[in-house]
Amino acid sequence: MRSKAVSDLAELLSRFRNGDRLALSRLLSLVSRGRQLEEIRAGIGIPEHPGRVIALTGSGGVGKSTLVGRLTELAVERNNSMAVLACDPESPLTGGALLGDRVRMTSSAEAEPPFIRSLAAASGHQAIAEHLDLMIPLLQAYGFETILLETVGAGQGDIAIRHLVDVLVLLLQPESGDDLQWEKAGLLEVADVIVVHKADLPGADNVVAQVSGEVNLAGAPEVPVLKVSAAKREGLDELWTTIQSLPSQKHKFRSGAVQLLQLAVERLSDRFHHSSEKFADVLAKWHEGELSDTEAADEVLRRL
Amino acid sequence: MPDQPNVRIILAKLGLDGHDRGVKVVARGLRDAGFHVIYAGLWQPPESVVQAVADEDADWLGISLLSGAHLTIMPRVMQLLRENGLDRVGVILGGIIPEADVPKLEQMGISRVFGPGTPINEIVDFIRAQQSRV
Repeated sequence: MRSKAVSDLAELLSRFRNGDRLALSRLLSLVSRGRQLEEIRAGIGIPEHPGRVIALTGSGGVGKSTLVGRLTELAVERNNSMAVLACDPESPLTGGALLGDRVRMTSSAEAEPPFIRSLAAASGHQAIAEHLDLMIPLLQAYGFETILLETVGAGQGDIAIRHLVDVLVLLLQPESGDDLQWEKAGLLEVADVIVVHKADLPGADNVVAQVSGEVNLAGAPEVPVLKVSAAKREGLDELWTTIQSLPSQKHKFRSGAVQLLQLAVERLSDRFHHSSEKFADVLAKWHEGELSDTEAADEVLRRL
Repeated sequence: MPDQPNVRIILAKLGLDGHDRGVKVVARGLRDAGFHVIYAGLWQPPESVVQAVADEDADWLGISLLSGAHLTIMPRVMQLLRENGLDRVGVILGGIIPEADVPKLEQMGISRVFGPGTPINEIVDFIRAQQSRV
């Protein structure tokens, strides 16, 4: 901001098409702020060989950032150009965010190191930042071969990421629940690869056995269940090969009504945040107890 | 808040300096003030910090130094920022910096040096004031 000149979008796009990494970075900022989305979408062009999009999801502390860090190292070793979009939560109270995913990603001295962008995800967006549907094509148009997406620590129902990516990797860890845990619906149903992370800890084999039994029932598609330890650097090559070679699962999930509902919820949430002053009186009445939760919510919906 | 984009600031520690209590307090304080704080961590070479500023499209860079290397390492950071077309990024410094060195640092283009005991609000107010002066 500090006299951040409002760059002419046309110039920015032309720099972008010439491979200017700084222009890419500026465009991502515009997109994350919801600015000039249509112009940018029209101006970036369609890549001949769009890069593969892989998401890593799982609960907070399971080791997503650490594993992303390891995968960026593998990408450098294999001459695979990689971009990372790492989501961390944004405070619903102050709008502030502490984006700490970079810390666990070792910096490399390469001439063209992996591109890493930290994004704040507002609450109510199912563990991902807004406008990923344009950020991903932007990174593909720039020419990255692999795009890694790291979600916020995600709960069991946070499946919005599914229709955005080719391969969805779910991270689990030892001691994360009994065998009934794996019977529950949600993330486990839509994952293409399951990683039992921190596999150097006791109990990893148990989780592998339970989860494999659950996701690979007779007649169901084979879902690879891999043991990985980022700390011991074990299982990483197999994970790399698996996520790069699995057929894309993206289109299988696109048509669901749940996705449509999710998109509608996001639009509603945007509208709410951009006109919160309209609801000041509802908020006050709700605080005072004059309106019940349901009445207040209905009133908000009427005004949106 | 809605149409006012959050200030993006990268906080990092450079070189051989493992004392991160202070920078974490600052990170938390700025977060609570509504900033998007990207914590890049310890033992960073100037090159990766500047790469992070570029890739994250940060508005500000905050460096914490308790090692006494500020007059050696900060010129390199400022030079790299210039070389990469990132002159517009504001740089602030915190940690143990002798007062006599502050004018030299400001001459290099560092916006402000915050010493030990600085209330977080002072940093927040300073950045906000600079931001609005567009």
